[in-house]
Amino acid sequence: MSGHRWQRLLSRHPYLFTLLLFAVLLLANRLLQPNLFESRVLSGNFRTFLPLLLLAVGQTLVVIGGGIDLSVGALVSLATAILVTNLLPESGMGAFLAVVGLAALAGMAAGAFNGFCVAVLRLQPIVTTYATAFLFGGVALWLLPRPGGAMPQELAQFYRQQTPLGLPIGVYVIIALLLLWLLLRSTRFGHYLFAVGGQPEAAYTTGVPVTWVRVATYMLSGLMAALAAAALTLGTSSGDPRIGDAMTLDSIVAVVLGGTRLSGGQGGVAGTILGVIVLSLIRNIISFANVPNWWQTLVDALIIVLALAGPALVRLLWRRT
Amino acid sequence: MNRLRRWRLSPPLIALLLAVALFFLGGLLQPGFVNPDQAINIVRLAAFLGIIAAGQTLVILSGGEGIDLSVGSVVTLSAILVFRIVNGDNALLLPALAVALGAGTLVGLANGIGVTALGIPPLVMTLGMTGIVEGAILVVTEGQLLGRPAPLLGQLVAQPLFGPLPGILLIWLLVGAAMWLLLERTAFGKNVFAIGVNRETARLSGVRVPLTVAATYALSGTLSALGGVLLLGFTQNVFLNLGRPFLFPSVAAVVVGGTVLAGGKGSYWGTMAGALVLTLLTSLLTASQLPEAVRQMVLGGTLLLLLSVYGRQRALRE
Amino acid sequence: MLMTLSAQHLAKHYGGVTALADGSLEVAAGEVVALVGANGSGKSTLSKIITGVVAPDGGQLLLDGKSVSFAGPPAARARGVTAVYQELSLVPDMSVAENIWLTHEPRWLGLLVNRAAVQAQTARLLALFSGAISARLDPRAPVRDLPPDEKQIVEILKALSRRPRLIILDEATASLDSRQVTRLFDLVADWQVQGKAVIFVSHRMDEIFRLADRIVVLRNGQTVGRLARSEARERDVVALMTGQAAAGAPGDAAVAQETPAAAGEAAGAGSTLLPGAVRLQVDDLRTPNVHGLSLQVHDGELLGLGGLRGQGQEDVLLALFGALPHSGRIRIGGKVAAFRHPQEAMAAGVAYVPGERNAQGLLSIRSILENLQLPSWAGYGLPLRMSAARADGRRVADELAIVMAGLDEPVSSLSGGNAQKVVLGKWLLRSPRLLLLNDPTKGVDVGAKAEIYRLLAALAAAGTAILFYSSDDEELLSLCRRVLVLHDGLLCAELQGPSLTRSQLVAAGMGAVSGETANGEAAGGKADTAAEPGSTP
Repeated sequence: MSGHRWQRLLSRHPYLFTLLLFAVLLLANRLLQPNLFESRVLSGNFRTFLPLLLLAVGQTLVVIGGGIDLSVGALVSLATAILVTNLLPESGMGAFLAVVGLAALAGMAAGAFNGFCVAVLRLQPIVTTYATAFLFGGVALWLLPRPGGAMPQELAQFYRQQTPLGLPIGVYVIIALLLLWLLLRSTRFGHYLFAVGGQPEAAYTTGVPVTWVRVATYMLSGLMAALAAAALTLGTSSGDPRIGDAMTLDSIVAVVLGGTRLSGGQGGVAGTILGVIVLSLIRNIISFANVPNWWQTLVDALIIVLALAGPALVRLLWRRT
Repeated sequence: MNRLRRWRLSPPLIALLLAVALFFLGGLLQPGFVNPDQAINIVRLAAFLGIIAAGQTLVILSGGEGIDLSVGSVVTLSAILVFRIVNGDNALLLPALAVALGAGTLVGLANGIGVTALGIPPLVMTLGMTGIVEGAILVVTEGQLLGRPAPLLGQLVAQPLFGPLPGILLIWLLVGAAMWLLLERTAFGKNVFAIGVNRETARLSGVRVPLTVAATYALSGTLSALGGVLLLGFTQNVFLNLGRPFLFPSVAAVVVGGTVLAGGKGSYWGTMAGALVLTLLTSLLTASQLPEAVRQMVLGGTLLLLLSVYGRQRALRE
Repeated sequence: MLMTLSAQHLAKHYGGVTALADGSLEVAAGEVVALVGANGSGKSTLSKIITGVVAPDGGQLLLDGKSVSFAGPPAARARGVTAVYQELSLVPDMSVAENIWLTHEPRWLGLLVNRAAVQAQTARLLALFSGAISARLDPRAPVRDLPPDEKQIVEILKALSRRPRLIILDEATASLDSRQVTRLFDLVADWQVQGKAVIFVSHRMDEIFRLADRIVVLRNGQTVGRLARSEARERDVVALMTGQAAAGAPGDAAVAQETPAAAGEAAGAGSTLLPGAVRLQVDDLRTPNVHGLSLQVHDGELLGLGGLRGQGQEDVLLALFGALPHSGRIRIGGKVAAFRHPQEAMAAGVAYVPGERNAQGLLSIRSILENLQLPSWAGYGLPLRMSAARADGRRVADELAIVMAGLDEPVSSLSGGNAQKVVLGKWLLRSPRLLLLNDPTKGVDVGAKAEIYRLLAALAAAGTAILFYSSDDEELLSLCRRVLVLHDGLLCAELQGPSLTRSQLVAAGMGAVSGETANGEAAGGKADTAAEPGSTP
């Protein structure tokens, strides 16, 4: 009886299992790292996962719309290259914003190209964005052949050290993202997004501009990749033209952990944010639990697979009893 | 008219012609690129990718968003296992091979169970498995990759065996023939195509869908492990991310060979041709002395072009 | 301006199949026109042309006196023409309110969806059905969780939310219960007062007579009658639908004349009433849509399953084939059968021809040979003896007279009829003892139909037990000696011998159980539509 209710709850809130995991991990992390909630430590943690968080939010939109974007990592590299090659250590706020705007435009243009290939030419999303990842990565290397470049020192200092009202800047970014997501969900586009990902045929007969919606998701993903690059470079103060490569797959794992269905039409940004935080908590714990070095990768992967399998395992166990 | 249709170019043939064209294009761009030694060298390099992509072909053919991103880690795993067990002794090669293939099969089977019984999307399931396998390697070896390859393995793979042809070529052709037999001449192969096209039709025709899906992942593990063992014969050494460079190219080789990512249509001949195309493309680009940036862009652009030739999906309105 | 819509001589062909030959219909504001006809008479095609889903290839459509051609459903909607279809156009994961207002959500300042207004307006729409729907049909409920009747109501409200001038209700009552139907009819009466035009497509005679001002009858893709309700009698409408003179006594020799000739004869030739031993014995079968059904099929018998669509017929067949969880006792050839996978059923000699040819019966992009051999590959050894498989495939293709360019062509290159022959043909190779068929001639042209009839008759003559659901009454009458009519997952009539007549079948299917069903389970109900002398038990 209660099993049945839990199942319905799970199917309505697919990230419930991740939420539980989050609570457990947070507790574990706090036990292992007593100063976890100190402003300085917290701020550092937020800085670490903020780029992935921004990226995964963009990925979420694409996935809800029924696609997938394997070029997000390359887009981060591209935007990073644009940022560090156009900024100087002494650049001011105005110049910074202008260059971030330029990177955002580039990201959206690249996203529009992805969207064109997937929605208009109807190429398979996985391989298409894998191929465009080479294109975008190539441009990044062309702009910035080797790691280097510069970021405005003052801004980077501000980003790293300021904790308005005692909270890390990342907290405000998350709040802003959640508000924007709520806003987006409340637009007609938000409704189209779920319709296109959930049942494209029904959306089409109802008159939803399916092609346009798909292109828009990829453009938004490109935009988020540019913002992720900004957060990343502000944290490191220099650019690596391959810095994004490793982030692509993490962004997808975070989306799935957050309860967004890879086949589209279901999910949300809040779950993804939770997914990113869980990922970073796992890594944090591993580094603080004195997990022997050699065990870290395994433990990390096992927890992730367990989290992915969790809902199904619970269901299987209940069916047995 | 009917005969005309039969002679129309099939994707594997297109890919093969493309490979030949690329080879001679290489000759134009790079004097001395076109010679028998170079050809043999490229086919040898393509063989590793081709064998690793054999399992990928099966998984992708079986549909249901099927993809195996754990092939890279299985390649590394099996190479390390053989490296350790053999430790330079030819006599231990066969047992080591058995262990490596068994381990690869088990990893694949775990993927299959995760995908079918636990309903985890193949993309993230196999990605997670990569982490588990790489993690397990680290735990067991603690980063110290001791051992020595079997001399026999090196001879088999690298040295000329039949005239100028190295043994790896024969092995690749055998794998090709076996894959053709499996896909075209066994009930299992026919079922793989069937579940790739339409799982409901397959089920209502008596196909055990989850079992078949799990078997494709298990076989993918076996074949990647075989690829890893052979790769060891070529590299004569192991390192922790030995297999990683083969991960996405294995998917690309399958797609370039004309196998539809949605499943149900394709062939291993196509994948073999695709492996040749990709290997040639990368060799050409490496030899071209173009900047890395341009090389990447050319690779991405070429992939995209190949996709748009025959990778298109159905329209919403017919 | 008041709306008028006039469809004149509309036609639509799919390949060689004529879906609509000459469909005409007029409807004006404030009027309800019923569109009736047997399955496959072209009702759906006609209504799809009117709403822009299908482009006609003949005739013209006049809206307010001017010729129009809609590029798609949105174009028709923009002109106030909308439809409620059976095939649902809802997104399962979205809420009731989101589905209803998709693409025309009320917004603040033209930007943000005014959720309060959406909820309120949805609640107002739902209130139209209050008392006839459960409390869980809430504006926020995901459509996925709703039962079929409430999904249908959401479809109706979705159409209504656009304030259309013309509404087509295409079998909109098929999944509604009587309270919901009554409520819908009250609404339709309101719409008439508001000056909306309504086209009502239905199989249910009583509803047609309750609702319609005028009745347009289609038969074989042609408009064959326009009647005012005041002057129409049920039997006249049935007669027009079936093409029989109303005066003549239906159900006698006339049946055989009307059916595809060869099939009728073949079916009649090779069978006695109870030809062989009991092949299939089912007791108290239960599935989500079947609530306790018992039946028997004998070797060599072609037992028909009839009734309106979606009364549990498919569940019965799927359960018997092991493809649907079920309870109840099933014996095949005397042995208890508890199949949990089609493979087990196949091993016991059961075969199933599914209802959705493309979604469940074919591997569209694979070759004809591979489709024919899909269930049988395991029998060809290792490696597969392809020449034997090919020879067997060729033999079946010849036997079924499949028109094709070759066994290696993709099955998607075949016409509907030939594709259906492939679906049937794959089981012939296994010589099944019990053949289950789910509406095997849906969307199949006349020639292929005749082939299929001939084949079924031959199989029955050879001793195969056949359980055959058809949505086409003609077929049941011509092929079967005994027909079970299902209604709401229950057996509502068993017709055989003299009681197996067209009018009995039509009446039973509409839930109007006559007093003379052969199994004696007469449930009062309506008066018989056509008197049947001589069949009183």
